[in-house]
Amino acid sequence: MHKTMQRTALAFAFALAATAAYAHAQLVKATPAVGATIASANEIRLTFSEGVEPRFSKIALTAADGAAIALGTAKTESGDATVFVAPIVKPLPPGVYTVRWSAVSTDTHHSQGDFSFTVKP
Amino acid sequence: MLSATWRSATRAVFGVAAALWISPAFAHAVCGDRIFPATLGIDDPGVGDELALPTSTWQPQGSDGTREFDATFSWTKTILPGLGLSFSDGGSWLRPGGYGWNALDTELKYNFMCLAQHEFMASAGFDVSWGRMGTASQYSPFNTYAPVVSVGKGFGDLPASLNILRPLAITAQLGAAIPGQSWTDGSQNPTTLNWGFTLQYSLPYYNSHVGQIDNDFLRRLVPVTEFAFSTPIANVAPGTQVTTGTIQPGVIYEADTWQLAVEALIPINSASGRNVGAIAELHFFFDDIFPNSLGKPLFR
Repeated sequence: MHKTMQRTALAFAFALAATAAYAHAQLVKATPAVGATIASANEIRLTFSEGVEPRFSKIALTAADGAAIALGTAKTESGDATVFVAPIVKPLPPGVYTVRWSAVSTDTHHSQGDFSFTVKP
Repeated sequence: MLSATWRSATRAVFGVAAALWISPAFAHAVCGDRIFPATLGIDDPGVGDELALPTSTWQPQGSDGTREFDATFSWTKTILPGLGLSFSDGGSWLRPGGYGWNALDTELKYNFMCLAQHEFMASAGFDVSWGRMGTASQYSPFNTYAPVVSVGKGFGDLPASLNILRPLAITAQLGAAIPGQSWTDGSQNPTTLNWGFTLQYSLPYYNSHVGQIDNDFLRRLVPVTEFAFSTPIANVAPGTQVTTGTIQPGVIYEADTWQLAVEALIPINSASGRNVGAIAELHFFFDDIFPNSLGKPLFR
């Protein structure tokens, strides 16, 4: 019986390996990096574990006082829907900034998160 | 004019279609920014289409010297969003006692609350362990009924000055196991309070909220410790009102569509067992793997 269960689990694992993976889009990497201190930034670049749907995904940037910072239209990178990029319209003065993002993966799962980075003087 | 009307109509139809198509799928144990992983001793507060196969348990040696190994599975099917029915069963190897198939366990569970901003999630369930099922060594002549409440709280709402603590989460469970028969062969069947909690520190959460982790393996780990206890509270035979349980330190590896958890089982007292046991579980999230078929609720 134990062997039967082991075989069943193994067969299931192989079946999954052959199945296209769709899941919650989790943030894998960001530029500026999560928690980083940087000299300047001209875009917010988020790399997700899954492809995201740009029409229903968002990036917002706020300064330490809560003021919204203008961003250009956020788009997925050509040929790679896992990379979602929003240009920063004007140079950022020194300070702490918060990125707030929400993403809808291609299988409609919703995920969201936030992180901060610092622009040094 | 006609052209403008057509454009408006096309946009409206596209908008409705897009809204319907993109209606977010809520499953998994996700609340706000937090994903609560499936834990082994304490049930997570989420309701989703998922399969645990297998859950392998090397129980700590019993206080009477018995040994036990369990290999079980649990499958949850959502009926409505937030409402699921789970079926759990499996085999046990006892020494002495031999092999036997356990009683079927079913649970209807409803996720009734998610405060996204505070990463707070709560669910209520009703579990039945069906008597007169299973083989002789695991046979129970009566059903056991267990109302259960599960909650989870992530600490992502802490202020930025406590950023390092934001990946922390706690989940807890409280339930009562009420036997359908008070006495069996002259022995009392006590009602027990099953309770406990987990402490988790999510490195996936750390990676996306606090600081980037470059190592792909590390940023998928969730160190966890579970505390699972059982206290007899009614119909207790004299001298047997002892809380038993285990403390379960371990780690969970979160892949995109599955997870693997491994924990030690440390008995809290001699009545809970001797030595240290272990538990491991492979867990598949059907809402992610089969989002358009097996992984979605039967009714929406």
